[in-house]
Formats: sequence, structure tokens, C-alpha cells
Amino acid sequence: MSGPRGRRIGIAALLVLLVIAPLLALAPVAPGAVRIAGVSVLWWYVGFAAPLAATALATFLLAHDAE
Amino acid sequence: MNALAASAAWLQPALVVAVAFRVAAGEADAPWLALAALVTPLVALLASGRSSSRNPVVAIVAAVAVTLLLAADFLVAADVATLLGASRWHGVALAAVSALAVAAWAPARRVSPWALAVAAAVLLLVPAAVALAAGAMPWSAWHRSGVRGALTFSQASAWVVGGERFARATTLRFAEGQRVIALAPGVYRVVERDAATPTVREWRLAAGEALTLRPGDELTVEAGARVRFEAGRRVPGAPASGITWADAPARGPRMLPAALGAVVTLLGGALALVPQARRGRVAVAGPVVLLAVMMAALAWGVYAAAVPDLVLAGAWPAPLLRLPALALGPAAGLPLAALSGLALVVMLATAALALRERLARASSPAPELWVAAIVTATALAVSSFDPWAVLTLALGLAAAAWAPARLAPSAAGAIAGPVVGGVTFATLAALPILASSPPAWLEALARYPALVAMPLGWLAARLMPPGGLGVAEA
Repeated sequence: MSGPRGRRIGIAALLVLLVIAPLLALAPVAPGAVRIAGVSVLWWYVGFAAPLAATALATFLLAHDAE
Repeated sequence: MNALAASAAWLQPALVVAVAFRVAAGEADAPWLALAALVTPLVALLASGRSSSRNPVVAIVAAVAVTLLLAADFLVAADVATLLGASRWHGVALAAVSALAVAAWAPARRVSPWALAVAAAVLLLVPAAVALAAGAMPWSAWHRSGVRGALTFSQASAWVVGGERFARATTLRFAEGQRVIALAPGVYRVVERDAATPTVREWRLAAGEALTLRPGDELTVEAGARVRFEAGRRVPGAPASGITWADAPARGPRMLPAALGAVVTLLGGALALVPQARRGRVAVAGPVVLLAVMMAALAWGVYAAAVPDLVLAGAWPAPLLRLPALALGPAAGLPLAALSGLALVVMLATAALALRERLARASSPAPELWVAAIVTATALAVSSFDPWAVLTLALGLAAAAWAPARLAPSAAGAIAGPVVGGVTFATLAALPILASSPPAWLEALARYPALVAMPLGWLAARLMPPGGLGVAEA
């Protein structure tokens, strides 16, 4: 995945990762409040899963996209 | 521009300490703000756009947005001065001199990316030290903070032992009775809510005089007021319990417009401030440093949440400057706090340098413009404005009236987008003046006008035909 198309897909993926956080927090049944190993799903997501996934994706695209 | 240098304008001390502060305070919007603070600059590093979008509209908007960003940073410097017992203007003046000096120092541009990387490593140092000393990783600390009962003042709290100062005018709501001792003369305004009609009383207290507050009372204190609280009583304004800190009751579907507004504001702000980065292996440094700084800010906030009165003064850098000594003891903590303070100064310098470059590209490279921005920001920061309001105003304006120029396909679009975005932003930002009690969705628009202004600006930029205004390509 490289070039402008890869970059567009990467940006869309980053935006999806970003928008999931408020949806997890604000959905009517509060799925983000469910605890896994003592920490809420919302905080596992914003403090661990999403930052690592977003950084890995951006790093890959920046390093491999020769433009 | 490499990705690390491109990220410097985003990694403002104000944004970093805002994330730590809001996490520690249990603010309802802290989770998505923390994530947006990391993801939005990554989007900006990847997004393509016009290489040059200089035009008179963008020049004015960039000058105003950069001035407001500097003001937010200087307000944080004022808070640092307050925490160290100095006057606010000492912190503001030192920050302003640093921002001026770094722009005049020729080698700064070459050293800046590496200095930023070192500052990021230093910011990670204290959470790592606290994790080792307390034997608790951030997720364990989060769990402990989330299961606490009432959040009360400890016997050893600085607010109980010698009293503390409020960084800015604050209104405290008391959930239980509390005897507050004024340690500095001043006016203390109490709203008593035990009757159908609230009673407002103003007390002019001398140092050492006490106020007895009942459950439900509200106390408004002036900026710089110094008071002492009773040990074992609930911290006014803090979440009612650990559960309330972890799962803020304010979160719910009604908060969605404000949440999206915050995300769009940060996204547009990042698109305006963080230019597209050069590709290649060296580019990985940008995302890695962004991750390190934002993870550090989150960890600071989570560890600081264990001390609920740390954020009571309203001083944003309190988690960074006070936590090390509280968690590790004065011997190890004070040097680490000093090191963290130094990291913030380095970040201020690298951010100022990056902002200077952004301003030069969008507006003018004239040194007089930079000096004028710093002087205006200094004047703003001497007043005790809320730094969050100033920061979101700066990012929102940049999102509404600067980012559309980057996304415009033509020079005409690069003028039309900022004009439409800017006018919409100004109109929505003025809503609180026009309507005294707007509905929730309108309130969200007034808080984050970029939610509507940025998409409209972007649409105008895209729809404007090339040469539509008869403007030559820049």
C-alpha cells in the first residue's frame, strides 16, 4: 500500500480510529464503560490500542511511501 | 520538512499539559481529546495539500491563530510561576523572552528536532519512575483511582498543611460542609442554595479569617486567592468518587455534538499547523515522538488522578510539577520536577520556532510580525484567561479559516474557503453574546464553531472554480 491511494486509505483509517473513541464513550448503552482487567474498554482503546495502531499505520505510510 | 520538525508546531506545552490536566481532573472529554491530540497531527503529516497558500486572508488568520497559540503557552508559563510562588507576569515574561530569543538564534532550527525528541524522552521519565517506585503501571493506577470512595483532602495535602493559591478565578461547589480559612485578604463570594431562591453573600476576609460553607454552597475566589481546607473533607469540584472519575456521568449521546466539535477543531488545527512531511525512513521519528509525548501526558494524568486536590488550583502544569515530589519524595521528586519543567521550556522553544516558520510561510517572514505576535500574546497572558478557551479558539480559528487554504485545489479556493470558514466561525463564536441560554446543540456550536465552519470553508474552497475570483496562482 503506497502512493496517493495508500495515503488516502491510511487517512481514512486514522479518522475511523479517531471517531470510534467518542462513539464508545457516548453510545446509549455505554460500551466504553465495560471493564477488562480493571480498566474500561474506552481507556484501553484511547490509551493503548488506538494510539499504537495509529502510530504504526502513519509510520508505515511515511516510511514506505516514496511519493 | 521532516516529520519531526513538522510535528513541533503541534507539540505545544499548552496542549500537552491540557491533556494531562484533563485526564487527572476526570473531565468527560479527556479520552477523545487525548486520542485526537495524537491522531490529528498524524493525519496532517500524511495529508497532501497546496505547497503555498499565502494570500491576504490566510495571512491575517495565521497571525491571529499563532498569537493565540503563543498566548495559551504563555498562560501555562504564568501557571508555572504561580505554582512556584512567583507572580504570573514573571512566567509570562520569561516565556516571551524565550520565544523571542529562539527565533533570533540561528542554530536553533538545526537543533530543534533533536531537542524535541530529548524533551519527549524526559517527559516519559517521570511516569516510568513513578511506575517503578509505586510498582503500578498506568493501567493499575487507573484501576486504583477508579475504585476509590470519596475524593478527600489527605492530612499531608498542601491545601491542608500550608494552604495553596488559585491560579485563576474559580467557582467551587461544595458537596459537604467545609471550613475554609483565607490566608490572603480578598473578596470571597458565596452562593447559598439551601432555599428556593439562592442567596448571594460577599465576604471581605482578612488573612486568617474563616468561612463556613454548607453542602450545596458555591464559593467564588479571585485569581491568586490563597486558602486552607480541612483534612478528610471532600475536595470541592472533584468527581464525587473514583467511579465518577473513571466514567464521567456527563458522558452520553447529548454530548456527541461537543465531542465531534472538539475532534474537528483539533483535526483542522493540525491540518493548518502541521505541514505534509517528507517521506522516507527518517520520517518515522515524527509519529514516534508524537506517540511518546501523548502517552507521557496520559500517564502523568492517570498518576496525578490519585491526588485529587492536585488540579484544584486550576493550574494546568500542576500534575507535571507537583506529582514527582508527591509520588517519589522530595529527594528524587524535586530534581525530576525540575527536569520536567525544563522539558516544557524546550517544547515551548521548539514550538515557537515552528510557529515562527508557519507564520513566515502563511503571512510574512518580517521579524516585526513575530515581535508583534509575542507582544500581543504577552498582553493576553498577563490576564488570567482560561488557557483551554484560548487554545481551542486558536485551533478552531486555524481549522475554520487556515486549513481550507491547504485543502483548496486553486488559489481562488484558497481565498474563498478561509473567507467562508472565518465568517462562519466568527458568527458562531458570537452566539453566546446573542443568546443567553442556548439549547445544548447550539452551545456545542458556540464552544466549537469549527464543527460547522471548517466543513463549510472546505466546501467553499473545493467548489470555487479555478480563477473564480480572478486570482493568480501563488
